Amino acid sequence: MKILMSVVFLGLSFSAIAQEEGSLDIRTVVQKEEVVVNENGESENRLVAVESVVPGERVFYTITFTNVGDEPAENIVITNPISAELSYVEGSAFGPGMDVEFSVDGGATFADAADLTVTVDGETRAAGPDDFTHIRWVMQGELNSGSQGTARFAAVLN
Amino acid sequence: MNVADLKRRIFRSLQSAAFAGVLLSSSGSALAAGTAVGTTIQNTATVDFTLGGTPLTVSSNTTTIVVAERLDIVVTLQSGQVLVSANDVNQALLFTVTNTGNGTEVILLSMDSVIAGDQFDPTPAVPEIYFDTDGSGDLSPGDVAYNPGVNDPNLVADASVDILIVNDIPGAVVNGDIGRSELTAAAATGTGVPGTVYAGQGDGGTDAVVGATGAEAAQVGEYLVSDILINVVKAQLVSDPFGGTEPIPGATISYTITVDVASVGVATASVLRDPIPNFSTFVPGSITLNGVPITDAIDADAGEFDTSAVPTVVVRLGDLTLADGIQTVVFEVRID
Repeated sequence: MKILMSVVFLGLSFSAIAQEEGSLDIRTVVQKEEVVVNENGESENRLVAVESVVPGERVFYTITFTNVGDEPAENIVITNPISAELSYVEGSAFGPGMDVEFSVDGGATFADAADLTVTVDGETRAAGPDDFTHIRWVMQGELNSGSQGTARFAAVLN
Repeated sequence: MNVADLKRRIFRSLQSAAFAGVLLSSSGSALAAGTAVGTTIQNTATVDFTLGGTPLTVSSNTTTIVVAERLDIVVTLQSGQVLVSANDVNQALLFTVTNTGNGTEVILLSMDSVIAGDQFDPTPAVPEIYFDTDGSGDLSPGDVAYNPGVNDPNLVADASVDILIVNDIPGAVVNGDIGRSELTAAAATGTGVPGTVYAGQGDGGTDAVVGATGAEAAQVGEYLVSDILINVVKAQLVSDPFGGTEPIPGATISYTITVDVASVGVATASVLRDPIPNFSTFVPGSITLNGVPITDAIDADAGEFDTSAVPTVVVRLGDLTLADGIQTVVFEVRID
């Protein structure tokens, strides 16, 4: 318990320092798709805010990060856990200028989706979307001051 | 002269066998209800980066979504085609109603026996819907009648209840007629097109959302009129050792059993079994079918004297129709 608390404390102090020195602002929103009929009578899909979901429903997590400091940020890695109640929608993760990797071990290690395996009852098989515990986006270049990046994925409520 | 008229319904055993098969197959198809209503799902993203060579980590805000109640109901017909006769009463069709939603839901039941495409309309009994309380699969004295608004089933997620709908069969039906009857189960919270939201009406004040089933399900069961009327008449003739007809020890009783189909239809694989009465002994070699002797041994001919349990005369009559006319079996016993 003590260890956990100190880690949290460290995390807080880091972000406080980061804010002072100029750094990244990161925000996440959760939305769902809604079909609306526009003024031309055409139906189109749009993402709307969601507070409640039912099993089988698909939600979209969008993470935006902005360099609010004066210096370019390097080695940017966005990490997002996938809740146990959610199943990742295959192929849904994307982020411009970023490589997408997955973890099947609670975020300890990451790899391309195609390279991951899981071992169940002594049998090793290729990992599927249900096995993913975390997603991360590794940015290829640096993020200049004032620039913004986006990462998104979709998941279905079990 | 001892005369008995018997009316028998054929295929009863076939029907129950089909029913057992349906039960078995349904036990393998459990439906997962999904994440429990009221569960909260939080999400926080983090970003790791370096700034002038210094590693830093920043966490995002935390989003929260709450799992609402999904309203879904499935009805499964468990009965095979139920074979009935004209004027039968309290003929039951068995269904299973399952809450495939993720919350606890009160379910409203109704039935309809006026279904298009059949030859007759079964007449709903009073009461017309029962819980299969004793799990027998058929209407039994212990089964509790459904009383709308009073004992509506209240099912937790994934739970199911067996329901019987009960009809009488009208008099004006003929063999081969089919009559259908339908059970409908609906979520008390509400039904509608999938996605319909009943704000705040889910468990714990969450929204209730109609799922893919429309929160309502119906299944149709079927009655088939299969009224094979078989007459079985048994006559006895006593011959005592003194040339008289007194049933005294040593007297012989000759039994004559006639069987005939008195309606349209086929009595499939008909078998006559007649146990030997107490205080009497079968006379070996005395069995005949339509005047042709049948050996006592269990062999390829149409019958035998079976002593494996209660000593019984067995004669296989095969598939009988009205056109086959009267089948006559004769055998003798001696009074001990």
